[in-house]
Amino acid sequence: MSEVAFTEEVIRLAGDEIRTCIQCGTCSSSCSTAHLMDNSIRKLVHLVLEGRKSEALASESIWLCTSCLLCTVRCPRGIRPKAVISALRQICEREGSVSRDASFEKIFMDQIRSRGRISEVLLSAAYALRNPDAAVPIMEMGIELLSRGKVSLNAGVVKGMDEIERIFRELGND
Amino acid sequence: MTEIAYYPGCVSKATGREYDISTRSVARVLGIELIELDDWSCCGATHVPNETLAVGLAARNLTQSELPVMTTCSICYSNLRNAIRRLEDNGLRARVNSLLERRYKSTRVMHVVEMLSESLANRELPIKLSCLKVSPYYGCLLTRPGNGIDSPEHPRVLEDMVKMLGAEPLESPLKMLCCGGPIFMPREDAALESTYHILLSAKRAGADAIMVVCPLCHLMLDAKQGAIERRYGVDLGMPVLYITQLAGIALGLGPEELALEMNSISPLPLLERVYQSMTRD
Repeated sequence: MSEVAFTEEVIRLAGDEIRTCIQCGTCSSSCSTAHLMDNSIRKLVHLVLEGRKSEALASESIWLCTSCLLCTVRCPRGIRPKAVISALRQICEREGSVSRDASFEKIFMDQIRSRGRISEVLLSAAYALRNPDAAVPIMEMGIELLSRGKVSLNAGVVKGMDEIERIFRELGND
Repeated sequence: MTEIAYYPGCVSKATGREYDISTRSVARVLGIELIELDDWSCCGATHVPNETLAVGLAARNLTQSELPVMTTCSICYSNLRNAIRRLEDNGLRARVNSLLERRYKSTRVMHVVEMLSESLANRELPIKLSCLKVSPYYGCLLTRPGNGIDSPEHPRVLEDMVKMLGAEPLESPLKMLCCGGPIFMPREDAALESTYHILLSAKRAGADAIMVVCPLCHLMLDAKQGAIERRYGVDLGMPVLYITQLAGIALGLGPEELALEMNSISPLPLLERVYQSMTRD
């Protein structure tokens, strides 16, 4: 994907308003994890508009977004910075990123596609298998939840899986 | 009896069981018949970056009943409300409808906060909670990006609810800071830091309890509170009650009907204080 094609792809996914960004930084100043990021959200939008694809996609910031949408509520230009993050996540995933963050999203979506619902036990187990360093905190939480009777091994499977599969097949490549 | 379609969401079957149990108990007392949405599926939460796919997944749930749909999870709520907005686009609606068994026409989606605000107004509550200072925690997606329930910048709906239940609301400056829940698995450090600040802020304000309206917020603030205390070397011991648990106490329901024993930080001492203050009066 060329630099121009990258910019155009993010704009296609996240909206034309991105072109109107005035770099005011309202998004970054509203962000609850901004202090942990390498590039602020404002800077990410800048990188997108300049077509600096590899820098944008390598940014840890993409995965520190909690999807809280405060940036989206506040942008004076009506840009949805969270949608820019989602577009960048989507491009990373399409390009086969194997980071722990991308693997978490893939496991999550695979589970919806195969069962229709999320089972927290299966989700945690699948994630811990791929990311062994996460196993300890996951087990620690599992023990706490188990002691409170809040672990279910039977999340059930949705009956309308044909419908779910059609939704993934027809809309999944948008 | 009012009938409402209930969309419990995936978390209701496991980590959010006390929310599901207390919601059903409170609805029973309020004369609301909750009919679980037939064959509901995951709304996609915050982990489907493809926005069209996310609308399709949420939309399927909107076609499962003719009744208004109530959800207790702020993430499900925001996703369902977003799908309704996006489906106003004729092209997208036709495309999504071509994939669904039942066509989407229109529907009303409400959060349990709205259901309680409507049905508790002007209702005499048997248990007085006036001895409790409660810090309402909004989290992010109850009001955002603009779900119509209240202002996404200066909401009052939860303070009003605490007052309606007879307790004293304590406004926290961090009441709308995200708890970090959506990234807690791959980014635990970042997530726990946010949660820690929220808990500390309520503690410093002198809250007896935090009231939450989302199962992911509850997981972070309650189930992970022990891990946070160990990590930061602090003693918090802050009970975190679901809005339905607090409402249930005021309505005279007991600990079992509200699954209070499922909370990690036990709210039972608070309950005792409430009962004692009533016998004193």
